[in-house]
Amino acid sequence: MSGERVTNDRELDTWREQWSSVAEPPAEFQRKVQERIKHQERRFVLGNLLTTIAFLGLLIFAVFMRHQSSWMGTDWTTGICVLVFVSTAYRVWVLRGTWRPQTQSTRAFVELWHKRAAARIRLLQVSIYVSLGWIIFCAALTAANWATIGQEVKAHPKVWVVLLVVCVLMQYPVIWYWAAWLRCRKLAELNEVTKIMNEMDGKGLR
Amino acid sequence: MNYVYSVTDRCAGLVTNVSEHRQALEKQFARILSEYGAAISRLAFTYEAVASVREELVQEIALAIWQALAHFRGDCSERTFVYRIAHNRGLTHVGRRRPPHQPLEELEESEQPVDPRPHLEEQVARTDERAQLMSAIQSLPVTHRQMIVLALEGLSHAEIAEVMGITENNVAVRLTRVRKALKDALGERP
Repeated sequence: MSGERVTNDRELDTWREQWSSVAEPPAEFQRKVQERIKHQERRFVLGNLLTTIAFLGLLIFAVFMRHQSSWMGTDWTTGICVLVFVSTAYRVWVLRGTWRPQTQSTRAFVELWHKRAAARIRLLQVSIYVSLGWIIFCAALTAANWATIGQEVKAHPKVWVVLLVVCVLMQYPVIWYWAAWLRCRKLAELNEVTKIMNEMDGKGLR
Repeated sequence: MNYVYSVTDRCAGLVTNVSEHRQALEKQFARILSEYGAAISRLAFTYEAVASVREELVQEIALAIWQALAHFRGDCSERTFVYRIAHNRGLTHVGRRRPPHQPLEELEESEQPVDPRPHLEEQVARTDERAQLMSAIQSLPVTHRQMIVLALEGLSHAEIAEVMGITENNVAVRLTRVRKALKDALGERP
């Protein structure tokens, strides 16, 4: 038994010796890391700034539209506000508890990762339904206000055709294609995480 | 007026504290990088075979350590903290982008260890053994890789248990299994 242990330890020592000579950090490692930290911090500030600007811009636009007596006015503004509120609330609800792990162990990390990937997939599915709902809402609003809109369409047909092509025929397929691509990626990620979790539980190993 | 001065003083104090805290963190981070830089590079080898992507991974691990460092309250040793973050980042890399397995057929010129002995044959044999070990480790399942790497880095069973979130007994049982798997993998190699 002790002979076996000594052999094992010698074996481990040999592996350790080989292992410890494997790699040195890449050249200029520290400088590159510092650069990336600065870059990431700048991106973080810029991202938050842009989100705030977009949110404020949307609010100002909504208030501006509310004071307009044009065709869609209040209904459209209300629609946008409801859409933003519902999307944000649902996002927060779905992603609850997926920000930080209880402990930092690999096990806790992988469990959290699994939860995150599943939540993202659910979020994407709901986003598709919400975008479908938004199209229906816009169509209903257009139909209800057709008396006013019809006149504008007749007055500026080219503008309306361009608007239709940009908003419906191009934007939605692009968004849906992107959502489908992202969903595929997230599903693959979920499979990998499940595989890692199974490995941790000792399932499916040699 | 006094109130305004008091608020200004407090703000200035807060800014100084934040700046000092940041400087302390930067110092600690630089020390961690110089102390564990080689270990992080070795660890990246087990998760990525392509040199250019591996370099990216090493930087991402360092970045993850920097981000986590602000929340590190010393409730575990710095060593387990670094390995934990590094392995978690490595796992994310594998999960997000699992490339086809590429065994380590060649080690780059810059990564050759400096061997003071002049015997070329011995040096070649050592490089070959090392490449075989790396290739064998890469062929193991990720959790096996993590365990053997932690053992090779000299972590105790208790530390490995802490990093992986399993019991010490479980570590002992699994490590035996992993060593056997590694031996088998090494045996399969020409």
